Amino acid sequence: MSEVAQLQLISLGIVGFGVLILLFIKATFLRVTGFVAIVLGLFSLMSLAVPQMASLPPAEEKVDITSIKTPTDIAAIGQSVFFSKGQCALCHSIGPSESARCPDLKGIGAKLSQDFLYESLTDPQAFVYQDYRHGGVPKEYPATMPAIDKDPIGLSKNEILAVIAFLQQMSGEPISVKVSDLEIPSQTQPAPVKAAGSALVADAHTP
Amino acid sequence: MSAIQQERETIQPSLRADRSHGGWLASLLLAAAWLALPSIGVAAEGTGAGPTEYRDIPYIGSRNLVWIVAQLHLLLAGFVLGVPIFAWLCEVIAWRGGEKRYDKLAKEFTKLLTSAYATTALFGGILLFLLVAFYPKLMNYLTDVFFPSFLLYCLLFLLETATLYLYWYGWDAMQHGRKKTLHVFLGFLLNFFALFIMIVPNAWATFQSSPVVISEGTAFERAWAATWNPTWWPINIHRLIANVVLGGYICGAYAGVRYLSVKSQEDREHYDWMGYVGNFIGVFGLLALPFAGYWLMREIYQYNQQMGITLMGGFLSWLFIIQAMLIGVLFLGSNYYFWLGITYRIPGSEAKYRKAMLWMLISLLFCLAVWMTPHSLVASIEEAQKMGGAHHPLLGVLGVMSAKMTVSNLMILITFMSFVMYWRAGKQDTAGWAKLGKAVMGAILVLASIAVIVLGVWGYFVPAIVRINYFSTSQVLIVIFVILTITPLTALLLKSAKTTTEMVWGSMPPRAGYSLVLNAVMVILLMTLMGYARSSSRVHWHVYGVMRDTSPYAYSPALGSASLIMAFCTFFFCILVAFIFWVATMGDKYKAAGGTGKGELPHGIPAMAGGAPDENQKG
Repeated sequence: MSEVAQLQLISLGIVGFGVLILLFIKATFLRVTGFVAIVLGLFSLMSLAVPQMASLPPAEEKVDITSIKTPTDIAAIGQSVFFSKGQCALCHSIGPSESARCPDLKGIGAKLSQDFLYESLTDPQAFVYQDYRHGGVPKEYPATMPAIDKDPIGLSKNEILAVIAFLQQMSGEPISVKVSDLEIPSQTQPAPVKAAGSALVADAHTP
Repeated sequence: MSAIQQERETIQPSLRADRSHGGWLASLLLAAAWLALPSIGVAAEGTGAGPTEYRDIPYIGSRNLVWIVAQLHLLLAGFVLGVPIFAWLCEVIAWRGGEKRYDKLAKEFTKLLTSAYATTALFGGILLFLLVAFYPKLMNYLTDVFFPSFLLYCLLFLLETATLYLYWYGWDAMQHGRKKTLHVFLGFLLNFFALFIMIVPNAWATFQSSPVVISEGTAFERAWAATWNPTWWPINIHRLIANVVLGGYICGAYAGVRYLSVKSQEDREHYDWMGYVGNFIGVFGLLALPFAGYWLMREIYQYNQQMGITLMGGFLSWLFIIQAMLIGVLFLGSNYYFWLGITYRIPGSEAKYRKAMLWMLISLLFCLAVWMTPHSLVASIEEAQKMGGAHHPLLGVLGVMSAKMTVSNLMILITFMSFVMYWRAGKQDTAGWAKLGKAVMGAILVLASIAVIVLGVWGYFVPAIVRINYFSTSQVLIVIFVILTITPLTALLLKSAKTTTEMVWGSMPPRAGYSLVLNAVMVILLMTLMGYARSSSRVHWHVYGVMRDTSPYAYSPALGSASLIMAFCTFFFCILVAFIFWVATMGDKYKAAGGTGKGELPHGIPAMAGGAPDENQKG
């Protein structure tokens, strides 16, 4: 028996318990308790009748760089990031969609260069591409693209490059991201941070 | 490997693999978990690698235990903060209007406060201990950010406690002349401190959802920046109104239960009237609540669109269908109670208003059906292919915000008109301008309803940003305009009206008592549901985007399993409130049995019901 079915049985039991109280008990307080039990049982049944979706934290997928042989491998990782940790599909679609809230990304890999895409993902306000009409002048808050190398999404450089590779692949373009562009974890240790004002400041996200 | 790490590596993968939604087992083992409390720390994270970040508890799990205790504390706090507003309003009505029974009602509810206040503080204390024990790293961080406001909170508690004691114990001693004025001022102070007691911890909670972190400045400056975060004031206003609603409906439910159990006609009259007042105050707040909710959601979208989408379009989107159902039942229950009042308390009015009530019922049901229409339907692949997607070709049109905003505004208008109808029942206008006045009010209502619908339909053809910023806001303003114009006009009209049918208290059928209980349960369920929504919208973050939840419980359970915990919290809270009422009225019952009696009982028609005050009641 599935978990939802078990929970439905429990809820039905609560409703049944309430009905029995109303049928056989005369004491007012207990009758009211039975009535409340029926209401709460029905509430749970209703909640169990809608699609059951749990929200899991993004899985910590460790990509073995040495296993990546071709740009197509990079794009496959990018596809996974696009629909999971990157949360891109929450707003964007690939192809026309009624429910998309932000620009359709179909063909974006052919339209924009790798560097431009990288900048759009990490510094979205650097250059606002006048392709997507918001219904007026862009305002301070509404529907701004977040910098996805920062929290709460916080993609690594490799993950961003993988997403770009996926977008290029989706656009039917040759993938410009090379395996050699990816950073090997041991080589990406942040440089020592010096005191404020120093010229040398570690920035692990700088491409 | 620590116990916490082991759990993380078993709970989350099993959820992923089994498509399990977590929490159901916990809901069955709540009782066992309470017994297991002393074993906190059994699953503390490793001690060698650094400071402990999380601790756990067997069976129920730390997250579920904190969830339940926090929810109960919040519900009790809502009750403890809502009742003084309710009581103070009643005292002011008695003070200015001279109706003693309002003063008696205010006193009856203030009496609850001392025991309710202690119970709330008890749950607050338990919550604090659990948070410090289970989430030391998070609490350390929050303490670092909010240290100055912790001190302020302690001070506020001292002031609130002292004021409550003076307010309650000084009730009889401060009944006349300037002393009464002082007592009313104490009631105001009680609510003033209570407001701050609410908004200070609101800052801690809202900071977790919409943090503003500055690394420079003094401790006070950092705390102030974190306090004044984007969702702080929307939550403050939303909770303030919700507390009034909760206080009103719980008063109504108490009156409903007593009405069902008392035998004497005097008692039936008293509790019937009390139920009416509770329902009235509940509805009064309920009309404003959706506006505050809309503002809160708007601020969430503006702060972080992803969080807004997670709530309204992501995994929590179905929650809002359940929310619509609960609010719909609450509106139906409140209107039904008004209609029962017209039918049974004002003999002869039923025939006059029967048609209107039927149309209102049909309209409310239609609005509720639209509000509950999901944007995407649960459909098999074959069904989806037939429909051409997840959206139904006809119903899909009703599942969008434009339609939902329109019907929610219409439901508010209908409920308001139910109240006006009740207010006017049994009166005959005598003012010379009555005909013109009624025509103006009718025109305002009809034009406003048309305007709300037109804006709703127009909303389909404009960009979302225009709809959200202008159309939805205009709909809200139109409804507020209707309430603010028709209320004083009706009051003015009824000032000179002749009472044709005296209101008969104590004649309501038993289902009226049950409808009051239903309304209270709906409000409590709504609070538990939205508590889950607000917490889940942070997804796997303790402090959104700043401090990640790395515990095994960094997931949000599905709505079905969460609903059982919500139902448990609601039930347990109802039992707690019943216990508080029982304890607080134990002395009265003893006195009544000893022959001292209940004293005055209500007669005549309350001013809020549109009736002329009974001269004998004037103090």
